[in-house]
Amino acid sequence: MINYHPSIEILTDYAAGSLPLAHSLCVSTHLERCPECQQQIRKLEMLGSHLFDQAQTESRQLSNLKDSFFKNLAQQPSPKEDHKVSPQEDKSIRWDDYAIPRSLRQFITKSYDDLTWMRLSPSFKIATLYNEEGGAQIALTRVKAGAHMPTHTHTGDEITLVLEGAFSDESGIYRQGDFINRDASHKHKPIVTKDAECICLTVLDAPIEFTGWLT
Amino acid sequence: MERAIQLPNDEQRVTDIYAVAQHRDQAALGRLFDHYVPKVRSFCLAAQPGANLMADDIAQEVMIRIWNKAHTYKPESASLNTWVFTLARNARIDYLRRNSRHQSDIDPEYLWEHVIDENADPFKDAQQKRDQERIQQGLDKLPPDQKQVLSKVYLEGKTHKEAAEELSLPLGTIKSRVRLALHKLTIYVKR
Ligand SMILES: [Zn+2]
Ligand SMILES: [Zn+2]
Repeated sequence: MINYHPSIEILTDYAAGSLPLAHSLCVSTHLERCPECQQQIRKLEMLGSHLFDQAQTESRQLSNLKDSFFKNLAQQPSPKEDHKVSPQEDKSIRWDDYAIPRSLRQFITKSYDDLTWMRLSPSFKIATLYNEEGGAQIALTRVKAGAHMPTHTHTGDEITLVLEGAFSDESGIYRQGDFINRDASHKHKPIVTKDAECICLTVLDAPIEFTGWLT
Repeated sequence: MERAIQLPNDEQRVTDIYAVAQHRDQAALGRLFDHYVPKVRSFCLAAQPGANLMADDIAQEVMIRIWNKAHTYKPESASLNTWVFTLARNARIDYLRRNSRHQSDIDPEYLWEHVIDENADPFKDAQQKRDQERIQQGLDKLPPDQKQVLSKVYLEGKTHKEAAEELSLPLGTIKSRVRLALHKLTIYVKR
């Protein structure tokens, strides 16, 4: 049961395509597990299509563009069948113990274990997936069952998406699929539940030094 | 093909997309081009005024995707307009991330594809049509300030934050305008 969802602003920016890609990655990962938000996105896309439909402002002659398009099309190889794995088959693939969300397959092809994990304490590891130039930092954190994550504050916004396991902090308990958005003013001390390790996807708007996480 | 002329435009275009999918019908693709390319170009120019070459590139890319993906279009999950809007949105995202100052290596290809639950729902089609109508009719009645913000977000590709900066309004005002609008359109369900 998912209890924490992206705000309607985030969902709208995502459906409109204006949300930064790093954040869109988190929303996409949440949507894979949240039929409720999928329904919202479906309607937000409908809204987009009506705005799109009304947006036409110009009446430029497009016959040249059309001619060159059809000329190019003639040279296109005929479309081959989609060889990509269909989402259904896709879902059932389990590499080690965990199913990697579709949205993360571009970074993790097989297993969370294949990533380069940086051990910051005996119970806390982090693996950077991607640093956007001048932008967000995308990482996975992996914390052992029952362990504390280092107390930390953020210099920018932080999005956390629970991939496996669960953790809690002063404000609540967060389980698989939950989407948590914290702003820069927030200071918190998360604890992982005792039954299993916890893997989270995090996006930090302002990259911070990992060592700064340790108190 | 003669009888197709009598069809209302939306149905004609659905017929055309099937003709593209099943018979690789270039005449049908040409009709879709005439209808959608000006819209895609306007959509791109809203985000990057004056960028005509970019608009042409993206419009052509959208038409190629229509040609290559026509067989994946499912009328029960989205109207054709919505499907083309999502193709245009994704093509614009892809273009911008490859050509902007802040290039990103995040591949957006899978980020907007979701598995809507496949359980056959006999009411889904009717529900979808009702939602469509409600949204379209509601949109025409929205106050201009609410519609303006929606256009900034959807057409100009601005985030709520960027829209606030551009209109010199507090972020809270932008958020509440969007919430009010979505509420009227029955999109926003408070949890
Ligand atoms: Zn959700
Ligand atoms: Zn935090």
